[in-house]
Amino acid sequence: MSVTDTPPLHSPGAGDAAPDDRTAPPPTPTSAAHGGAGGLFERHALLLLLVAVAVFFSVLPASADVFPTQENLSVLLGDRATVALLALSVILPLVCGYFDFSLGAIAAASSVLTAGLMSFHDLPLGLAMTAGIGVGVLVGAVNGLLVTRFGLNSFVTTLGMATLLGGLVQWYTGGQTILVGLDPRLAEFGSTTLLGIPQVVYVVAVVAALLWYLLTQTPFGRSLYAVGSNPRSAALVGIRVQRSVWTTFVLAGGIAGLCGVLSLARAGSATADPGTGLLFPALAAAFLGATAVRPGFFNVVGTMIGVLFVSVSVSGLTLAGADTWASPVFNGAALLVAVGLSAYLGRSRGIRTV
Amino acid sequence: MTLTTDPAATPATDVVLRVAGLTKRFGATLALDRADLELRPGTVHALVGGNGCGKSTTIKVLAGVHRADAGRIEVAGHAWDAGHYDAKAGRAAGLRFVHQDLGLFPELSVAENFALDAGYPTGPARRVRWGALQRRVAQLLAAYEIEADPRTPVAALRPAQRTLVAICRALQDQEADGQLVLVLDEPTATLPQHESQVLLDAVRRRADNGQTVLMVSHRMPEVLAVCDDFTVFRDGRTVAALVGQRPTERELVGHMTGTALAATVVGGMAPGALDGAPVPPDVQPPAADGDVVLAVRDLEGGPLRGVDLEVRRGEVVGVAGLVGSGRSSLLRTVFGEHAPASGTVAVRDAAGALSTTGDVRTRMDAGVAFVPEDRAGEAAFAELTIRDNLTAPVLRRYWRPWGMDRRRERADAADLVARYGVRTPSTDAPLASLSGGNQQKVVLARWLQRRPTLLLLDEPTQGVDVMSRADIYRTVREAAAGGCAVLVASSDLLELSTLCDRVVVLQDGRVTAEATGAQLTPDSLTALTQSSAGAPAEHPAPSGAPR
Ligand SMILES: Nc1ncnc2c1ncn2[C@@H]1O[C@H](COP(=O)(O)OP(=O)(O)OP(=O)(O)O)[C@@H](O)[C@H]1O
Ligand SMILES: [Mg+2]
Repeated sequence: MSVTDTPPLHSPGAGDAAPDDRTAPPPTPTSAAHGGAGGLFERHALLLLLVAVAVFFSVLPASADVFPTQENLSVLLGDRATVALLALSVILPLVCGYFDFSLGAIAAASSVLTAGLMSFHDLPLGLAMTAGIGVGVLVGAVNGLLVTRFGLNSFVTTLGMATLLGGLVQWYTGGQTILVGLDPRLAEFGSTTLLGIPQVVYVVAVVAALLWYLLTQTPFGRSLYAVGSNPRSAALVGIRVQRSVWTTFVLAGGIAGLCGVLSLARAGSATADPGTGLLFPALAAAFLGATAVRPGFFNVVGTMIGVLFVSVSVSGLTLAGADTWASPVFNGAALLVAVGLSAYLGRSRGIRTV
Repeated sequence: MTLTTDPAATPATDVVLRVAGLTKRFGATLALDRADLELRPGTVHALVGGNGCGKSTTIKVLAGVHRADAGRIEVAGHAWDAGHYDAKAGRAAGLRFVHQDLGLFPELSVAENFALDAGYPTGPARRVRWGALQRRVAQLLAAYEIEADPRTPVAALRPAQRTLVAICRALQDQEADGQLVLVLDEPTATLPQHESQVLLDAVRRRADNGQTVLMVSHRMPEVLAVCDDFTVFRDGRTVAALVGQRPTERELVGHMTGTALAATVVGGMAPGALDGAPVPPDVQPPAADGDVVLAVRDLEGGPLRGVDLEVRRGEVVGVAGLVGSGRSSLLRTVFGEHAPASGTVAVRDAAGALSTTGDVRTRMDAGVAFVPEDRAGEAAFAELTIRDNLTAPVLRRYWRPWGMDRRRERADAADLVARYGVRTPSTDAPLASLSGGNQQKVVLARWLQRRPTLLLLDEPTQGVDVMSRADIYRTVREAAAGGCAVLVASSDLLELSTLCDRVVVLQDGRVTAEATGAQLTPDSLTALTQSSAGAPAEHPAPSGAPR
């Protein structure tokens, strides 16, 4: 309870600097920052787990023949590049404490629009790609506006946006896969490798590096963590909270748009898919990432390790002969474990028992 | 350990709560180092000590929030090894806690708040029997002499009443006073003086009926007026247990600091500040003809109804007033958090330029700093590191094209932590791992490092121990001597009279009185605030309050 001697001038949320409806449960912080053996282990636990899983599938007889080969790893990285990109977009609003469930649908819409503009309207590749990424930025801007300016709940708002976009994708494609009339350069980019690594992976690496710089090496990025920790305090140290949150939605939308273009390049066609298949592994990776490197906070490096962990595990399972249901089960379990783990670690140290 | 027990005091067997050899370690910090504590039934027991000496940790161990590493806990004849003690055991043995955030639901009615704790009385088909609930709560409130209707929402109550409701709720399943032990962690830290007086009077009355109370407070006059026994902690150890004595403030502070230190600390502090006597600030006020840094004209908005106020360079101006008088609103509006409904707020920046409009960011650029009243809700980033908390308003200072200059950030943070006496093993520890008073010091350091031209302080020393309080006063006076204009809102009139050159009294959103020079004493300020409210002073100053 805060004992103030003044009635509030504004009703909460109405034009207030910090809307109170932030829905993302900030992963419970842990005091690993103290250092010490425990903290050090915790920071690198996910990486160790990743190595362990990779080693396991490399020696497991059922997968040992294929898993550790260069071709498999190359395919693995290329196929998961889209998930990685989406996971990067997901953490931006999450750092501020907001969910964006529409990012998967944005990627799908961007993919379909880019393909459609080339196929139906014969637009050049550059223009089509710009439109795809632009639609992501636009939808992100609308999401951000609804959440900050109008104080709507981000969970519900973006879920609604995801449903709406999914419907529009169906309408635009008529439920058909767009195969013909695409610029071949795009598919070529998606299928060639550079130094043995798929070219799309470099795109992910560049975006990850930029985002890492933004989040950890600029005042703006650092202030986003402050917003995520306590928006009221953030406003009172001069951070323009609403503008910052809006910016994360816009950036996330743009990255998701890029993800759509990349998935078109990789697949060579655009299917009428709502994009949720992409979103949930991305969320799992983001939450796993928040238990590593900087435990308790969403961070770029942790997220990348999270993506690799999920990908390697699922690929290994598949090669070892697991059925198709294994992948969603694994993703879901990883998400639950990640959320539970960060909450448990925080509680065991007695810091903020929410 | 200087155990000065009054031989006439009740024998050692008559103890409702005994803690012995309690030890608790957090990573590198030894929060409790074989601490002892004994409560006699029917007494109000004060647990005092400097910031971070382990008071809250003891209470959290008793509440089962933390598990101690070693020690014994005895409650009402039941004994546990501290390692086997948990929340349930303490509750069953009769410990009840009211934490500083009270844990009430402000939008719900008083009655519903009671029911959420103890369960709703239900009739057939699990229908809630509202009538029965209301009657029971009304009875309880009457028994505790709380003037509130069970149907009013908690948010509509005055601060002291809210705390009393929380206390009453915690004790609701007690049939006779004295069955339960009530534990309060800094119950008055955020309460204005007269509110805390109401609260403490009520606590005293309960104790006179046989209720046992353990309370933590940094307000020495209060504990001296209301408590029977005192336990003093220093660095996680019990350094004094004063049973049935009437120590002086000087004595208590002596124990808190260690006798050798006491002389210098008390000496370094404004003399007499510890005894509640008025003192002139030790830095002389500058000539009053400095530039006007803040000019407020006819300000309206929220509870403010036309405030006129000027603060000059080098001047420390206090704002006194009762609850609802608009003190916090005034500071917030000046900081640009709220736009005024009418009137102007003009702020002069270091370069001498005057600006009349602006949001928080432009005010900050003009050199304004603001320490809000509600630390947890509006100032702290609990899970971020101490360094992050310190650099939050100055991040741009550390930016280089190749990234944030972390080395300089670390060095500056370490400097500030040392300068403001924050007790922590590392600036990379989360803020939440600091004790309450140390968190407050971090918030103050955050703003003072900016060398503001106008410093706005709202209850700046809440939860800060007596020794650090003197340091903070000195720092603020030094900032003023360096040309900063300071506006302090505080409900601690001793604080205002010690710190300020001039105090304005706010009532119903207007400045109704001003005190300077010889009028700057707690007593005359009390008279001014109370009389401006149209009611004579009901309660004497706490230092002189009769038992
Ligand atoms: N969760 C935690 N993690 C790490 N250290 C902690 C934690 N809680 C408390 N500490 C440390 O334990 C010590 C005692 O803290 P405690 O909160 O008990 O102090 P306190 O006596 O209540 O002080 P104050 O008067 O400032 O409230 C401090 O040094 C503090 O930093
Ligand atoms: Mg405390």
